[in-house]
Amino acid sequence: MSDIEAYSERAREWLQSVAGEFGGAVRKGLSDAENLALGRRYLKARFDAGYAGINWSPEFGGQGLTHIEKVAFEAEEMKFSMPSGFFGISLGMPVPILMKYCEDKAFAKERVLKALQGEEIWCQLFSEPAGGSDLAGLRLRAEQDGNGWKLNGQKLWTSFAQYSDYGVIVARTDPTVAKHKGLTYFWVDMKSPGVEVRPVKLAAGDHMVNEVFFDDVRIDDSNRLSPVGGGFSVAMATLMIERYTATDSAGFGPHLDLFISLAKETKIGGKPAIEDGRIRQQIARNYAMRNGLDAITARAMLMMRAGMEPGPEGSLNKLVSVRSRQKLSELAIDLQGTDALHYDDQASSKDDWQASWIGAPTGRIAGGADEMLLNTIAERILGLPQDHRPDKGVPFNQIPA
Amino acid sequence: MSLLYDEGQLAIAAETRKVLEARVNTKEMLALLEQQGLFHAPFWETAKQQGWTALALPEAYGGLDLTLVELGLIALQTGRTLAGAPFLTTSYGAARAVLDHGSEALKDAWLPRLASGEAIGAIAFAEGQEPVPALPTVTYAHGLLNGIKPSVSGGSQAHLAIVLASEAGTPVLVAADLTGAERQVFHTFDNSRCTANLVFQNTSATLLASGDAALQAALHVLALQSVVTAHEQTGGAEALIEQARDYANTRRAFGQPIGAFQSVKHRIAELYGLVELARANALQAAASEGQPGFLKVAAAARIQATEAYDTAARDCVQVHGGIGVTWEGGLHLHMRRSRTLAVEQGNLLFWEDVLVDQLTGEMA
Ligand SMILES: Cc1cc2nc3c(=O)[nH]c(=O)nc-3n(C[C@H](O)[C@H](O)[C@H](O)COP(=O)(O)OP(=O)(O)OC[C@H]3O[C@@H](n4cnc5c(N)ncnc54)[C@H](O)[C@@H]3O)c2cc1C
Repeated sequence: MSDIEAYSERAREWLQSVAGEFGGAVRKGLSDAENLALGRRYLKARFDAGYAGINWSPEFGGQGLTHIEKVAFEAEEMKFSMPSGFFGISLGMPVPILMKYCEDKAFAKERVLKALQGEEIWCQLFSEPAGGSDLAGLRLRAEQDGNGWKLNGQKLWTSFAQYSDYGVIVARTDPTVAKHKGLTYFWVDMKSPGVEVRPVKLAAGDHMVNEVFFDDVRIDDSNRLSPVGGGFSVAMATLMIERYTATDSAGFGPHLDLFISLAKETKIGGKPAIEDGRIRQQIARNYAMRNGLDAITARAMLMMRAGMEPGPEGSLNKLVSVRSRQKLSELAIDLQGTDALHYDDQASSKDDWQASWIGAPTGRIAGGADEMLLNTIAERILGLPQDHRPDKGVPFNQIPA
Repeated sequence: MSLLYDEGQLAIAAETRKVLEARVNTKEMLALLEQQGLFHAPFWETAKQQGWTALALPEAYGGLDLTLVELGLIALQTGRTLAGAPFLTTSYGAARAVLDHGSEALKDAWLPRLASGEAIGAIAFAEGQEPVPALPTVTYAHGLLNGIKPSVSGGSQAHLAIVLASEAGTPVLVAADLTGAERQVFHTFDNSRCTANLVFQNTSATLLASGDAALQAALHVLALQSVVTAHEQTGGAEALIEQARDYANTRRAFGQPIGAFQSVKHRIAELYGLVELARANALQAAASEGQPGFLKVAAAARIQATEAYDTAARDCVQVHGGIGVTWEGGLHLHMRRSRTLAVEQGNLLFWEDVLVDQLTGEMA
């Protein structure tokens, strides 16, 4: 057994040992507040067991291992449906950025340790009503105010802002230059006066995202994590950190085995659905597609272990897996006929087709919409031209609204 | 077996590409479309010289003792440049049938000749819509074959055929020396495949397997060939994406490169996804030879590769506009090849069923 396999096995044993306390089975029917409380206890246990900050420096309470162990642990953890969702963004992007860019190391260390143990949560305040795919189109202003800054404006789609203690935020500090050039990156205390969080109910009925309003929110210049006007590149660096994460060829929907079981249990025209060519074709195509994604992931892991940079094809996973999960979920609903109309708001998208279906669109939008991913593949991997961009080089305050 | 190519394997791929690009050209491939039963002789000479014919056969019979992974790498490159003959796949399939099921005498008679490329092998299982007929119409009795195997790839040139026949109501797999057999060549949309009907009239043949074992053996040979073909299809699709990309970067319309229009650029980006999925599946299948579940991943590789090549052929032509549909432009060579490869060795419908049977059997 290789070192990494041994590592995975130890991780699996530990996860198994705490599954009875935190895993998917005991979480059925819990409210958000209960899940969050359980999640905090899980993070503490994970920290104590040595599986927190796996690839982070021991200086910040990490384990000092590589992203290989990190991804290996995540792949195992995913199978147990642990209550770690509330902390995923926090530990995935804002906290690593703080670690890297915050000059006050003592402060950063204190925050990182609390975040790793589930005591504090960080959110990512990037998107706005006017700046989603076009992140650099954001409008929230940061104006110099004495030796600090004053924030005014609105963020939108901020995941878990309602539970967050801190956030990282990109703001416009200079509207007279081209849109990418006038942005600056800060951290902000979510408990500051003038911050107001309003949850937004999503289509599936949950409230994971929020609108966040900033009304004369004062922050010190020491909250700044980028040069003035240099915020866009730190924002891009934030999005790059997530390059090494465990992926799921099921697109975070149900495993194909569940579809096959459903096809065995249901009938079309009085005959088992599993004998129907339309169903068989979808099973075969989905299997081939997922098998391809899994092989890409396995190859990327091997490359990382061999000290190589994995190929760009890893970026296909989200694009390919989520939209096919969406279609397969529709077909699974068809297969159930009118029985499919029963609906459980609390069901998990990993094992329930209705939940998978209603939640699928968010997966095609959050973290880069399908169309933006296609643009990235076309431009960065294949070397095709950028789209025509009428706002290119135009000072932000002269772009027609 | 690893999912990562080692340095030796990468060197094989690079060398193959260099050699093929120097010796194969569109013009000669176009000429072959207008003749029946002929192949691109320089291609086949190259294959022999380079040892591709010997690659995945045992040393004891003049082979190089490499694996399906290396053969796949060669096939991927031949797919890029449009292989001028189907024999790398068909001879490999025939050789594997002899190797896995033949007597020592049969192996001695055929394997060294197949490894050197002096002899060409063909697979004659399919009859019309059935890639592996449970009760073939071609009969086998007292060591003699009778009947017609239709549309055999490589059939006009092959010296040896592995035939799925029936013996008194039981399927059998046999090896037939084609010296005396009649070949009916006919016009196809991809003539360099040397497709022909094989007409057996008391053609003597040697028994390899009988009953269910014959069907299993035939399916396994088909799966092995499918993995080679999946690489070839992936290579063809890869070459098409590059052509589409290059054209989209240079052809201008409405004041900009057509690649700046998203309907063009996203189309090409989608092709990239299909090709990478096909590549990953093909390599994984090649690396899984001899392991449990091989049939499943071979089927997956075949399905994904067919989808990739068909789509790439369709979309690459579209990106080229009028130039895409000219004879001289030659993109139709890929259109023709993609559909030919899609039906040789079992079509998409067949492999989808094989895969689902494997998946449902596994769960049962
Ligand atoms: C569940 C969820 C959680 C989220 N969490 C966070 C978070 O924690 N923090 C945060 O900052 N943001 C978060 N987001 C926001 C997310 O990043 C944006 O929704 C996403 O970037 C898309 O932006 P938009 O919603 O403004 O859509 P738009 O950018 O308006 O896009 C609308 C449509 O136009 C298409 N489009 C836009 N530009 C182009 C183009 N150039 N070419 C082709 N098509 C184009 C898009 O692909 C899309 O189909 C979250 C979103 C969701 C749904």
